[in-house]
Amino acid sequence: MEDAVARLRNAVMNYEMETIADLAKQALKDGVDPLVAIEKGLAEGIKTVGERFGRGEIFLPELVMGAEAMKAALAVLEPAVPKGKHRSSAGKVIIGTVQDDIHEIGKNLVSTMLSSNGFEVVDLGVNVPSADFLKKSDELKPQIVAMSALMTTTMPRMAEVIAPLKKKNKAIKVIVGGAPVTDTYAKEIGADGYSGDASSAVDQAKKLVR
Amino acid sequence: MSFGIKRGVRFNILSESDLERIHWATLHVLEKVGVQVDSPTCRKLLKDNGCEVDEKTRIAKIPSHLVEEALAKKKTSITLAARNPKYDAKLDLNHSYMTANGNGAVTVDFETGKRRPSTKQDVANSSRIIDALNNIHIHWPMVSSTDQHPSVVHLHDFDASINNTEKHVMYETGVTLSDAKTLTEMGYAAAGGEKEYRRRPISSCLQCTYAPLQHDAGVMDASLYFAKAGVPLVFFGMPQPGATGPATLVGSLVVGNAEVLSALTMTQLSSPGAAVIYGMGNAPLDMRTTIRAGGSPEHAISSAIATELAHYYDMPSCVGVSATAKEPGDQAVLEYYTGCVGPMLAGADLMCGVGLLEDSSCLFYEQIVIDDEIVGAIGRLMRGEWVNDDTLALDAIEKVGPGKNFLTQRHTVDHMRTEFFMPNLIDRRSFDAWSQAGSKSLRDKAREKVKDILANHKVTPLESQVQKKLDDIIEKAKKPMWGGESKTH
Repeated sequence: MEDAVARLRNAVMNYEMETIADLAKQALKDGVDPLVAIEKGLAEGIKTVGERFGRGEIFLPELVMGAEAMKAALAVLEPAVPKGKHRSSAGKVIIGTVQDDIHEIGKNLVSTMLSSNGFEVVDLGVNVPSADFLKKSDELKPQIVAMSALMTTTMPRMAEVIAPLKKKNKAIKVIVGGAPVTDTYAKEIGADGYSGDASSAVDQAKKLVR
Repeated sequence: MSFGIKRGVRFNILSESDLERIHWATLHVLEKVGVQVDSPTCRKLLKDNGCEVDEKTRIAKIPSHLVEEALAKKKTSITLAARNPKYDAKLDLNHSYMTANGNGAVTVDFETGKRRPSTKQDVANSSRIIDALNNIHIHWPMVSSTDQHPSVVHLHDFDASINNTEKHVMYETGVTLSDAKTLTEMGYAAAGGEKEYRRRPISSCLQCTYAPLQHDAGVMDASLYFAKAGVPLVFFGMPQPGATGPATLVGSLVVGNAEVLSALTMTQLSSPGAAVIYGMGNAPLDMRTTIRAGGSPEHAISSAIATELAHYYDMPSCVGVSATAKEPGDQAVLEYYTGCVGPMLAGADLMCGVGLLEDSSCLFYEQIVIDDEIVGAIGRLMRGEWVNDDTLALDAIEKVGPGKNFLTQRHTVDHMRTEFFMPNLIDRRSFDAWSQAGSKSLRDKAREKVKDILANHKVTPLESQVQKKLDDIIEKAKKPMWGGESKTH
């Protein structure tokens, strides 16, 4: 059982995104506790990958591949977690690119950086209707909602989400980003955090869930 | 990865017929105008080989066939070997190499920021910095050991260099016959004997000719000695367009070319087949300030054209780069970038050199690492081998398709370490990340890198008995200066 967990950890650290799902299936077959496999295997592995990236030892594609490997294994392990039990994480984040905007890469990088720093990230994708942000936060109860917009024309969609979101749940935190977004604009629309790059987004998120 | 910068891209400036015209003009100058040769030995050599020599004016007129014969005898491909063979610079007309700049007399103290005369410690420190940097391939003693006895300053320069870098050391201080003998002896000692040195010359000498159209006696006597002793030579013409050369760059290059080819002729007459590199630093005199415009675009394009000339002769080139800035930063970067990019894109084999300011006279440690970054970036512009099945990446494009990204493709991982220039000093972070990390300037980061190198970079020293031999040679060479007693420091 120890071995199976270590194998999963190594598979994340070696970016085995094509084969890790089989390892996860095998682990479940061998009776490994899925929560242990996630926390001691995947999460530990991605943490190491994130640290290496932070030290400049590996490059972005490797970080992303590590995160992809983790995602592939989670897809197998998470459904096996018994009802009522939850994996421990630094916090739950839902993230997406706002309505009418299909820019993906920046949002994906933030998503990757957050998961490699221990956050549980639910990625809603791109061109996410404002109503979906609201519906999903009701459903998943995240601590943070993260939104990305790459065009001045789509930025106002963020404000469109924040107002009703905050009205419903005062405690929920919102972070925003994207090339045209500034600190000033973020404050103006009532966001709790803004970041100019993926690494600082993690710092923001950590501050907000503390 | 191989040492040096492999050239894939090359710009052409002059046509074959342009180069021929420069060549014919140069032969005309050598035959009709002649060059002033101060060394009696060299005058005799030229006279014995059919030149018209006037002993009173010391002017020798060299017939074209002698020059053509010398060009036929010279070496085409030269390896500047290094203490550590992984740093061997193969001048094969396919690779470019950057050298350090040399023999400044002033250093801005790294700790106090004060300008002061350079010391042997500065030579040692800068040698270690050059050793640590990836984009500077050949070392020069960057400054002079002015704290040592005046008669042996240049020997200390060589000593501090060869002990503190494993890269090839080129010096420009072999300017008398006795200097040539001592520096050769030191080279032999450092290489482990004459035989080993002749096989793998770990040092070389750059010799300047005197514009317009003169050859110093000491320099030429020394050069003939070096050629016989197996020390590779660079003959470096330095006419200043508008002052010691015609104002037109090409006219000035004709003057410089005549100097280099006549020096080559004498060397090949004396030692057929000797290793000679074609050198040129055609930087104009600035007409407003009277300063040599080392960081000018004219210097850069002259170095590029001189490279084309050298290659027309099947010789490796060694061309000038420098900057007149007074401190590291904006102007120095602008001058060094302009100065390096021209000759590099024209395929210069050697460029001398980086790291000094005030037109090769003042050392700032920080500038060395800034220039290393500049050379690295330009090196990226020169890479070749662009289009093949792997680089076209059709497989990856098909796999990803519209709307996703290439970050998780094996193809990306396979190429990300070689396809992109990874800067050391250039900061690409967002404003937030940069300001959080202290809003450091390029110069601040250069300073940190220098600190790190000086604290941590280790260079394998020469064996202690070799060091002792070098010390003995220096001690023996010490002479009383200006008729006074020799003073020990």
